[in-house]
Amino acid sequence: MLHIADLHASVAGRTILDGLDLDVPTGEVHVIMGPNGSGKTTLTNVLSGRDGYDTSGTVTFDGIDLLPLTPEDRAAAGVFVAFQHPVEIPGVGNMYFLRTAVNSVRSHRGLPELAAVDFLGIAKDHMARLAMDPAFLSRSVNAGFSGGEKKRNEILQMSMLEPRLAILDETDSGLDIDALRVVAQGIERLRSPDRSMLIITHHTPLLDAVRPDHVHVLQGGRIVRSGGPELAHELEAAGYGTLPIEEAV
Amino acid sequence: MTVTAPGPVPTVRNERWHYAPLDEISARMSRSVAPSDGAPASLSTSLSPSLIDALIGAAAGATGPRIVFVNGRYAAGLSDGEGLPAGVRVGVADTGLDNGSGAAAVTVDDRVRVEEPIHVVHVAVPDAVDAPSVLSRARTIVELGDDTHLAIVETFGGLDGATTPTVTEASTTIRLGDRAELVHYRIQIEAPTATHLGQTHVDQGAGSALRMTSVTLGGDIARNAVDVHLDAADAQTELIGINVTGGHQRHDTVVTVDHAASMCASNQRFTGVVDDHGRGSFSGEIIVRHGTSGSDAHQASRNLVLDRNAEADARPWLRILADDVRCTHGATVGRLDDDALHYLRSRGIPFAAARAMLIDAFVGDVTDSIEHEQVRHHVRALVAATASTASDQSNASNASPHPARSVEQP
Repeated sequence: MLHIADLHASVAGRTILDGLDLDVPTGEVHVIMGPNGSGKTTLTNVLSGRDGYDTSGTVTFDGIDLLPLTPEDRAAAGVFVAFQHPVEIPGVGNMYFLRTAVNSVRSHRGLPELAAVDFLGIAKDHMARLAMDPAFLSRSVNAGFSGGEKKRNEILQMSMLEPRLAILDETDSGLDIDALRVVAQGIERLRSPDRSMLIITHHTPLLDAVRPDHVHVLQGGRIVRSGGPELAHELEAAGYGTLPIEEAV
Repeated sequence: MTVTAPGPVPTVRNERWHYAPLDEISARMSRSVAPSDGAPASLSTSLSPSLIDALIGAAAGATGPRIVFVNGRYAAGLSDGEGLPAGVRVGVADTGLDNGSGAAAVTVDDRVRVEEPIHVVHVAVPDAVDAPSVLSRARTIVELGDDTHLAIVETFGGLDGATTPTVTEASTTIRLGDRAELVHYRIQIEAPTATHLGQTHVDQGAGSALRMTSVTLGGDIARNAVDVHLDAADAQTELIGINVTGGHQRHDTVVTVDHAASMCASNQRFTGVVDDHGRGSFSGEIIVRHGTSGSDAHQASRNLVLDRNAEADARPWLRILADDVRCTHGATVGRLDDDALHYLRSRGIPFAAARAMLIDAFVGDVTDSIEHEQVRHHVRALVAATASTASDQSNASNASPHPARSVEQP
């Protein structure tokens, strides 16, 4: 489903991604771990279509060349990125935002737009499963939300937009145990044979809950090692510093 | 009460005209002629009640009694006094200008309180397609007795798509009695070729309250000058404003609040959105007179600049001549938040819609505070339409083969 080959990305002349290769087949959940500064957030930014990066290499999604697409076209095609630091947008109502997003994506997929009443019912169902107070709908997007509330709001958006590929950038960072469980359940619910996920994390508790198919280590802008779920525990015990980089090449 | 006479022709040395393109204004005024008698024949079919409905936002539910002037002259056929509450008089007053112009006069008797807004509409139209531009004198007089409450929507409109320029020299004179409350909306949506020189002069009585919202969207060169004189104790004034400025528009807002009496409170909140080659400016003056005490005066100017060719200027101007004063002022000029724009787009919301959502959020401070629901819907729709037109022009002038890259870098 997602095929990344020899991806380079630099910003202001500084190389951050340096020949990254990655394949995420349909229906699989892959995890990327890596030390700070290894390029994890740059990878999510590049995949979401963020401005400001010089890129080369190829990224295909369902056979579509992703890199020339606008962020909105990527979303419409079925790519969703849960951001590490969801931006606060005072003055834009969360419900209005969510409904506009859902209807934009629906109309792109040839589906009828949801009326306000229907949308509200669906949104409240999703929120109940994420243990979110419906009052969040009447607040501005992420404005004044706690860290955990922001992450739940990301999972809410993900579950309502029903992407084919979900990329979660440190969605588990800064969560308490209860919030982590809710987020993990939200991810687990979306797991399906025709949906792929790429989870970027520093921590194993989420992985124990989600049980990924593969774990990759990103270091120096490249995948330096790949393995099964046990690799995450190995890294947690030994740290990134012990990794022989040559091993992956 | 007499109409405030138009001031002398300004010069560049006059601080209140600091940002105005004076040479261009003078040239346009000198090229203009007095309007012909009666409604211009070539436009008579355009000047129908439905035009007035469109200008005042009847579609949004903004209806009610209205008095309409075309090029400074009372238009009986377009006016509608139906439903005027007892104790409120709306009529035509002499302007003292010997050119056939009349003034819209709205008078409220003591202790009369009216919630539904009354509309005063001034329409500027060209005499004919190839005629010289018309110089109109638009006059409004509002006089509230003691213990009154009134809402007025003063609309300055033109004809959509009018290509022959017009020049409107507008003067509104407001007098509030003791404990009078006025909600005043000043909505300027003249044609894109229009020149609009607006002046509002307010004198407030003891314990009176003014809440004025200025919406400046139309015209090519447009000025909105507001002078508020707090002449008696315990008066309150809240001046809110928005300008959306695109194309090659120049919008100049000049505000003076004069605390001439003790224990008065004033608050100025002005918001500007400038796009394309537009230029918006705000000069806000606060005067606190010698010998007064307990004055509370605040001013804030927020500006959103959407294009590298657009310009926003904000200039506070404080003359505090008393000791016992609480006074604050602040001005910000910023761009759209790229992170927020990307966030919205990453959820599938197209660039133009995402941009419109952020602009709407920025101006929400002004539009949300409009207490009359129909006027609020009307102004929101006007602002959204103007902002999207401005951005169309901007995007066209910055046409880029990479739509994903069309957001400017600093």
